Amino acid sequence: MSDYVLKVSNLKKSFKDVKALTGVSFSVEKGVIFGMLGPNGAGKTTTIETLTGLNKRDQGQVDILGLDPANQLKELQKKIGVQLQSPALFPRLKVVEIIKLFSSFYKSSLSTDQVLEQIDLMEKKDSWVKNLSGGQKHRLAVGLAIVSNGEIIFLDEPTTGLDPQARIKLWEVIRNLKKEGKTVFLTTHYMDEAEKLCDDLVILDRGRIITQGSPEHLIDQNFDDKVIEFRDQNLSAKFKDQLKNSSFFNKISFEEKNNHILIYTDQIRSSLKRLFNLSEQNNIELEGVIIRKATLEDVFLKLTGREYNDETI
Amino acid sequence: MKLFKELFIANLKELIRDKSGMFWLIAFPIIFVFIFGLIFTNSGNEQLYNIGFVSEGDTVFNKSIEESIANISVFKINKGKKQVELKALQEGNRDLVLIIPEINRNLNEQFEIEILTSDQRAQASTVLISSLKEIFYNIERQITNQKEVFKIKTSTVSTDTLSDFDYILPGILAMAIMQLGLFGSFNFLNLREKGIIRGLGVTPLPRQIILSSEITMRIVISIIQTVLIIFLGRWFFNVHIVSSLLVVFGVVVIGAFTFISLGYMLITFADSMESGRGIVQIVQFPMLFLSGIFFPIDFMPKYIRPIVKVLPLTYLGNALREVMVGIPSQVTMTRNITILVIWSVLTVLITVKFWKWE
Repeated sequence: MSDYVLKVSNLKKSFKDVKALTGVSFSVEKGVIFGMLGPNGAGKTTTIETLTGLNKRDQGQVDILGLDPANQLKELQKKIGVQLQSPALFPRLKVVEIIKLFSSFYKSSLSTDQVLEQIDLMEKKDSWVKNLSGGQKHRLAVGLAIVSNGEIIFLDEPTTGLDPQARIKLWEVIRNLKKEGKTVFLTTHYMDEAEKLCDDLVILDRGRIITQGSPEHLIDQNFDDKVIEFRDQNLSAKFKDQLKNSSFFNKISFEEKNNHILIYTDQIRSSLKRLFNLSEQNNIELEGVIIRKATLEDVFLKLTGREYNDETI
Repeated sequence: MKLFKELFIANLKELIRDKSGMFWLIAFPIIFVFIFGLIFTNSGNEQLYNIGFVSEGDTVFNKSIEESIANISVFKINKGKKQVELKALQEGNRDLVLIIPEINRNLNEQFEIEILTSDQRAQASTVLISSLKEIFYNIERQITNQKEVFKIKTSTVSTDTLSDFDYILPGILAMAIMQLGLFGSFNFLNLREKGIIRGLGVTPLPRQIILSSEITMRIVISIIQTVLIIFLGRWFFNVHIVSSLLVVFGVVVIGAFTFISLGYMLITFADSMESGRGIVQIVQFPMLFLSGIFFPIDFMPKYIRPIVKVLPLTYLGNALREVMVGIPSQVTMTRNITILVIWSVLTVLITVKFWKWE
């Protein structure tokens, strides 16, 4: 039996005329890194704010550690940690000072040294918050969430805007939280982050959940095939029609924006042969041909019929 | 209480480490005190007259004359040879040169005492010569044992002369308190605009504590400003403080609270940092000049006076002038304080009614 620390069913939230969440249901197992993946505007922040008490829900049930944020918020807040922009609260406080300040909010907080160690900021503990780099600020924000020693740590887009190195470092911090036995609930709009970091995830799109599962499961469930990808450059309409009609391919899709054509197939060898024959017949030189596994991006494309990148900025 | 203490300390550290903030709160009033102090204080030092003293003899009488003149506190005696002193007079380094011949016991003889003055300082010379004449007349009487007909008794009555600066010093404090209250609200406005106050809603921290620790810190700062301004006024410009410091602090705390709540009230009507600055400037700038904190209201045109009479800074200025340097205002102290309290109550009520945390 799985042990759930968070259960949400039929969560609805509107802001004036805008329906931000239209009946969201999911559950989070204890001790996992749970991701909520979706393009900007999908409703990720609304979800996290509704769960942590910054927004009141219109409808639905929420159970976090046996508590309901709608009427047991104060009690709940002592048991969770939420990452927020609070380092900006006191830009001239030292890292160690602001962690100590936040630890005074909680009864059973972690020690400042434990937090500094976990977020790898021990060397920077005497620096002013405002003098930290972007990545360090993000890690400190996570640190201010974990100082609560809460059972669930909520992180809202913790790596947005970070350079690749800083992201990888923050992933390490998040993985260590899991090792400590914490449950991590994070939102992200990075497909690769969700794929590499999360044990379990939901994909949120336009205020509804389109699927839930581990990244591998989601990919396997939707694709038992590989992807042949090549550039859509100087391709004739005739050639494209022939591609679409070819019975060898499971599905073909055109990514207009990036000028790429994707072919999903479980028969790589014959599909490639067919593709090259067609290009030979049409006297077309194919460029940038790649064969790869399906990714979450392909899952999103398949389930929504829209390309993921169109939604993200 | 522990939370309050932690936040108070955090607020204080944040402020002390903010160089520009510290400039406005501490250095700016100090600079004001010095600028106004140097402009408006009448120099308390008595003027000294440089007397060149040339004595051509070394008799008891010569010595006695020298002593009598040296005893006059406004005279600075430069004893020297005739040529040296005359040269000094020509160069403008002496106000007067006195040449005393050798005076022996032959009192039937008349001794010629020579006084040389500079045409540069004719007015001073007249005064000097008449007082020197008086001195010699006295000496002469003692020597010749003439009877004194008039006995002149003099005594000094001490008067509390107030300089213009005595008027201005409490005004500088009033200005500092107003600015602390009004500009101090920007910090909260900034946190509100950035969504930080809202974000803190996910922690168990009651946000009222954020505000109350901020208010307490500003009141503490206003006390520090008071001590500083009074100290400078006292030690550098000789401003006499008439009440006990506790009374002054009492007025300062009431004033600080009035302007802090006015500041918060103003930012409840702002929806961005820019509009907040605009609103506060519109209130702060005219008040600075229309409250009579730097010059008496009587100097202002009649049609402006009704405005002056409603501004809280007018009454803080009044109250501070009265308790600090003893300049009474046109209204009673009770009235000054009552009006400040009314302002506080009104602004608190309006602030609570329209307050926005997010």
